[in-house]
Amino acid sequence: MHMSGRRDFTDWIAELLHLKDVPFMGVPNYMFSIEYWLGGISAGALAWQVLTGLLLLFYYEPSNAYNSTMSIIHNVPFGSIILSSHLYGAYIMIFAVYMHGLYVMLKGGYKKPRGFQWVLGVLMFVLTLGVAFIGYSLTGDVLATDAVDVGRGLLTALGLQSLIPIIFGNGTELDLFSRLLAWHITIAAAILLLFLLHFYLAEENGLMPRLKDAEYRAPAVINKNSKDLPPWWPRNFIYMVALVFMTWGIIILIPSILALPNVYPSVPILFSPYPGPSPTSPQAAAVPAYPPWFFLFIYKMLDMPLGLKVDAVLSMILPVIILLIIPALDRSEKLHPLDRPVITALFLIGFVWLIELSVWSAIQPGVPVKPTWATLVLLPPLVIIVAGIYAIHRSWLRVRDKALNGSTKITEGKTWVMSKSTASILSYITGILAIIIIGLSFILNPLSDGPYIGVLWGSALLLLSASILNYFYVSYM
Amino acid sequence: MNERGNYNNGGLSMGRRDFLKAMLFISGAAVVLGMLRGLEYLMPPSIGISAFPRLLLVDENGNPIKASKLPVNAQPTIALFPYPLNNEPNFLLNLGNDSNQPVEAPPTTVVIPQNGIRYEFPGGVGPSKSIVAFSAICQHLGCTFPELTFYPPGYKTITELGPKDKVLHCSCHGSTYDPYLGGAVVTGPTVRPLPAVVLEWDPSTDELYAVKMVGPVIYGHPGYNNPTQDIVNNPLGDLQGGSPISGTSTTVTMHTNPAVTG
Repeated sequence: MHMSGRRDFTDWIAELLHLKDVPFMGVPNYMFSIEYWLGGISAGALAWQVLTGLLLLFYYEPSNAYNSTMSIIHNVPFGSIILSSHLYGAYIMIFAVYMHGLYVMLKGGYKKPRGFQWVLGVLMFVLTLGVAFIGYSLTGDVLATDAVDVGRGLLTALGLQSLIPIIFGNGTELDLFSRLLAWHITIAAAILLLFLLHFYLAEENGLMPRLKDAEYRAPAVINKNSKDLPPWWPRNFIYMVALVFMTWGIIILIPSILALPNVYPSVPILFSPYPGPSPTSPQAAAVPAYPPWFFLFIYKMLDMPLGLKVDAVLSMILPVIILLIIPALDRSEKLHPLDRPVITALFLIGFVWLIELSVWSAIQPGVPVKPTWATLVLLPPLVIIVAGIYAIHRSWLRVRDKALNGSTKITEGKTWVMSKSTASILSYITGILAIIIIGLSFILNPLSDGPYIGVLWGSALLLLSASILNYFYVSYM
Repeated sequence: MNERGNYNNGGLSMGRRDFLKAMLFISGAAVVLGMLRGLEYLMPPSIGISAFPRLLLVDENGNPIKASKLPVNAQPTIALFPYPLNNEPNFLLNLGNDSNQPVEAPPTTVVIPQNGIRYEFPGGVGPSKSIVAFSAICQHLGCTFPELTFYPPGYKTITELGPKDKVLHCSCHGSTYDPYLGGAVVTGPTVRPLPAVVLEWDPSTDELYAVKMVGPVIYGHPGYNNPTQDIVNNPLGDLQGGSPISGTSTTVTMHTNPAVTG
């Protein structure tokens, strides 16, 4: 130990693990904001899925799918938290992946040099939806049974019926659930590998700066070797840990609240934290044949009067192909959304249709669509968005130079800034509250009080995250 | 760079080196592609049977089902049994009129909307020729009981053609079938009728047997979406893609009918 200069615990850890030599990129101050970390949040959720997924493997039995799943909830300590947070971890991950992809699409992040990074992202998006489909089929509840049957029909409609035995097995329940489990883990592993590649490319390509800093031109890259860039350790590390805890807090807190005895009976099946009834139980009949919420748009598309094959191609194949070829469709160097009217319009139409079809499907599950209804729902947004973007683009071209190059001064919108002392007090308070709350969780029974413990765990994680973020603000902003 | 240059100088000329490189790529691609057939590992050994079995319908205690005791119009409970494989559930219905008296389901010709092909439904069996059996897996996208269920007289469901009773209707996507007319399609989105189980009734014992299927292959089994004339007369695809039922009987189970209980 040196006589001069304090060398505390964190320095010791950093030295032990060579954290100061980690070859990750540091980032400018403005990037410590959540919209730059949507990929990180997706990855944080993925980490939670791996963790809880491995824990579920200890009790899940493919030979007894539904009963072993319910037994995890009722007979295993903390089982209800692990299972329901695995479900909501998937929901949050899917939500974060959507946000990440939409943000990148809006900002032109798919352009040079990140074309392949985008393609990997689209592939991971598809795999994420696939692994989620198989995951909720694993429970063996009434919705899972229908999902597997519908999956068979969709594969057949697409001419891929030879894949049915490969995915769903030889027709026995045991083979079905053994295979679903194997595929679930295999696809999860594939997502993990692709994520590593995606992350490596993000680092090697260099992060994307504010559009203004890049003068609205691709390639927009922050020079990794710039001397002005603060190092990755410890700023990025601390911020990342805070966001991961925040993500995990939300993942545990939401399903735990929904599972509270007073809340659970009034939760719609689409957002239920637990599996539905067994397909052989009388209650099964009362459950509308919903897919999970992230597949509602496909469900409504399958009600379209175009035949199963066309419906399936339009809802499942075409969107993926369009997403994959976006880097090839838009090769210009322009980055401002209004300079890319086609992609921006595509973004808005896709987003609006996704929401419309999902809501429609939730309200009218499985009601065949008449052509006039489809026209009334889908055509107006298309016309409005195309015409609107066209008109805005025209007037944008007249003011473009002024708007982009006129005043280079970025007006700081935030007038109120928290003082460092307030932040440090908040950091103390939230940190201590987190300790108290996690302490409280010990008086509860892990078998019977699962949802209450989940609420405490989720709150403690969120408080811890708040504490770290305040510390981060005090020390590094 | 220098070092590499030195190696190159001592080695092959540029053209030969490129040739060798191309050769390596071709060789690598050949090896990888050649081994891809190992993916066949993922194809499960197929299971099934080679001919339709003749199975006695029994209750959960193994006692034969008596045709004359079968509840009319699936009230209060609806009967299901697997045939010809374990993962192929079927409805066993004793069809009746509005006053719950058994009515004959006459032999009829069923048309497949998908391709216009026709097949003969042999009609109901039993003392009133009112007992029929149809696959309980919807031909559209495979939703099964309880989503697909029988709506007895007086219990109407919303269909594309307005409220209807005396139909088999699937709440997943709205397909409707007529069990009084051989499982024919009443409304889409399905483009195929429900496969029918051919039943036999032994008047001396009042017992029922399932002997074969007619119509399209049961949903999800090989060839179900391609009902040719040969297939609908003898849907052998039903015999593949599931585990055989052991013994000489198949068990009929009684379930609450959601169409009645709501």
